[in-house]
Amino acid sequence: MEYNLIVNQEKKSADATISDHHLKVKTGDNIYDASFVIISEHHILLNVDGRNVNAFIFSDQGGKTVIIKGRSYFIQDSDLLEQNLSEKKGFMKQSIIVSSPMPAVVISVLIKIGDRVEKGQPLIIVSAMKMETTLFAPFEGIVSGINTKEGDKVMPADILVDIEKEEEPQ
Amino acid sequence: MFEKILIANRSEIAIRVIHTCREMGIKSVAVYSDVDKKALHVLSADEAVYIGPSEPSLSYLNIEAIIKAAKQTRAQAIHPGYGFLSENYKFAQRCKDEGLVFIGPSAEAIRNLGDKITSRKIMLDSGVPVMPGLNGMTGCTSDMAVSVDTSDLTDAVEEIGYPVLVKATAGGGGKGIRIVNSSDEIKEAVASASREALKAFGNGNVYIEKFFTRARHIEFQILADKYGNTIHLFERECSIQRRHQKIIEETPALILTSELRQEMGAAAVRAAKASHYENAGTVEFLLDDKNNFYFLEINTRLQVEHPITEMTTGVDLVRHQIEIAAGQSLRLRQEDIHPRGHAIECRIYAEDPEKDFLPSPGKIIFMKEPSGPGIRNDCGIYQGFEVPVDYDPILSKLVVHAQTRDQAISKMVKALEDYVVLGVKTPIEFMVNVLNSRPFRSGEVFTDFIKAHFSGWKSNREFNSSERELADSAREPGDSEPEFIDSAREFSNSESESIDSERELSNFEPLSIYSASELIDVAMIAFIADAVGGAKNNSNSFSDTKKTVSPWGTLGNWQL
Repeated sequence: MEYNLIVNQEKKSADATISDHHLKVKTGDNIYDASFVIISEHHILLNVDGRNVNAFIFSDQGGKTVIIKGRSYFIQDSDLLEQNLSEKKGFMKQSIIVSSPMPAVVISVLIKIGDRVEKGQPLIIVSAMKMETTLFAPFEGIVSGINTKEGDKVMPADILVDIEKEEEPQ
Repeated sequence: MFEKILIANRSEIAIRVIHTCREMGIKSVAVYSDVDKKALHVLSADEAVYIGPSEPSLSYLNIEAIIKAAKQTRAQAIHPGYGFLSENYKFAQRCKDEGLVFIGPSAEAIRNLGDKITSRKIMLDSGVPVMPGLNGMTGCTSDMAVSVDTSDLTDAVEEIGYPVLVKATAGGGGKGIRIVNSSDEIKEAVASASREALKAFGNGNVYIEKFFTRARHIEFQILADKYGNTIHLFERECSIQRRHQKIIEETPALILTSELRQEMGAAAVRAAKASHYENAGTVEFLLDDKNNFYFLEINTRLQVEHPITEMTTGVDLVRHQIEIAAGQSLRLRQEDIHPRGHAIECRIYAEDPEKDFLPSPGKIIFMKEPSGPGIRNDCGIYQGFEVPVDYDPILSKLVVHAQTRDQAISKMVKALEDYVVLGVKTPIEFMVNVLNSRPFRSGEVFTDFIKAHFSGWKSNREFNSSERELADSAREPGDSEPEFIDSAREFSNSESESIDSERELSNFEPLSIYSASELIDVAMIAFIADAVGGAKNNSNSFSDTKKTVSPWGTLGNWQL
């Protein structure tokens, strides 16, 4: 079976022949002979060409994080990613929305509705784990909505400020 | 001796204190906020008292609630840990007024030393060298209201010379600190540092001192009893910092000659005596590139990084804190302290080193702690625990002790590789890269280390290729660029003799035969195995899987 994977944002393919707990995997340059034992939900003991490797795995935002010897690999199945294209569009939007990069508490709102903001102007200050982070305007425009207030707990997906883009001058 | 001690703190440091309490036959009382109902320190103590909402000012900083908890449980003493109320002289005084023993220095000593301006004066008077800086303080006093007289400020700062450091007078833990490079930034920096300090410490005052871009941070551990016996337990090198917060500490410091070590140790004892210090404390010095040292501050509490001193000296600092607080005289003399070997600590935070170390709170889905000879993990989390956004993101402190620095580094790399935390981002992989980097191995550690060698760091994907090239070029003499040694590569190349400790390293690394790109292949195999095995698990019942899957049956190559 052919797997088209994205490992740490790099495309890779692997051809795997699977029988019970035995895998024969062909990657770009190499052929591996592997067997595996599921130790627990997040722990797999691999035996690759006679050598033991403990791998730790968990599902994470449209892919899986695999940790081997302290190194972490974010792996996605690109065949499955097709389905997530709409999510991807949402991700594209991320760069132009004002949201906290981590779960945080809003400590200060620096603008009000109707304000004209410049690109890069500080809008909101959030604090997580005692560290302050300032959220800036991604582009120039008029503030049309503020969806939070001081003291609110906010999550990364929350859109905190709506900014109406101004027409580009010709 | 006390029969019961309340620990006015949370997470790993509360647990650290509980360990010693139990060894001493002292009962422990934990306190907790809403989000900490299931925190590990609550699970570990003999008793636990709820003290308020998650917001620190309403719980762990709430003096009334903590005093009440102590009274209610009839605790005789309070250990403040680090952070929170540990350096709050009002709290120390309040404990005394209520007939409770505060395990730490006197309120007066905390007050004098906690105020960077007063402590500066004490040190100047007792002949301890101090940093060039302002002799007064500034800042804003109430939440957002900024009232800084900038005209005076800019003139005065001009005299010290940019860059300068704006620092909270009640500071610690890297909070409330800003570097300022020019006069137009100073006002905003003072305001934002002040705001952060107010939130973290309940005190918005800041002061300003010279900022050395290339300096080492070296501190000395102090123990002092009520009777004027003061000793030091040697130094800790804490130069590896991010956002002005230490992340890797070690002892002894490579840079110190035994002469300089003695001189600084004596200065540390002098500093403690001049401020009538009692209990455990830490005298922090900055060492510039010409080996001049300057007094920075005395931290009037147990330090986060105290375990490395415990490892090399064999002294339980918390036990001594408790004994001193109970009025016993110090049984150790300076000549009793003989540090042995080398110890390193890595602070494991819930943070993302790829995103400028932004906090990464979340649920611990899975974890596996490292173990082995000379490995200690002071840990505040467990599998299933939700790391709250409300507090410092420290998860645990991984500490190793070995005979030499090289062995300690190898041991730490091994321990980090064995440490698995799923669910939050951690700097584990980053730390492995730091420990394997040439500047770290050669001991060229300065406070700008991370910025100079590791800014824009990405998980090994992008490091692999460059790492290998750099490791190759490292074999050419006269190369002064920082090189990153890809451990996988090095281990695989046993013929090479370019790295002193290589032989030693290759001894413990069974994965060594894999290059970085082969490791990616192995990760993909794991991914496929999980996909296949996961599907199997769904179709079979758990007991079925258990019956058919045995490592002895499936794996032919076990060599035990």
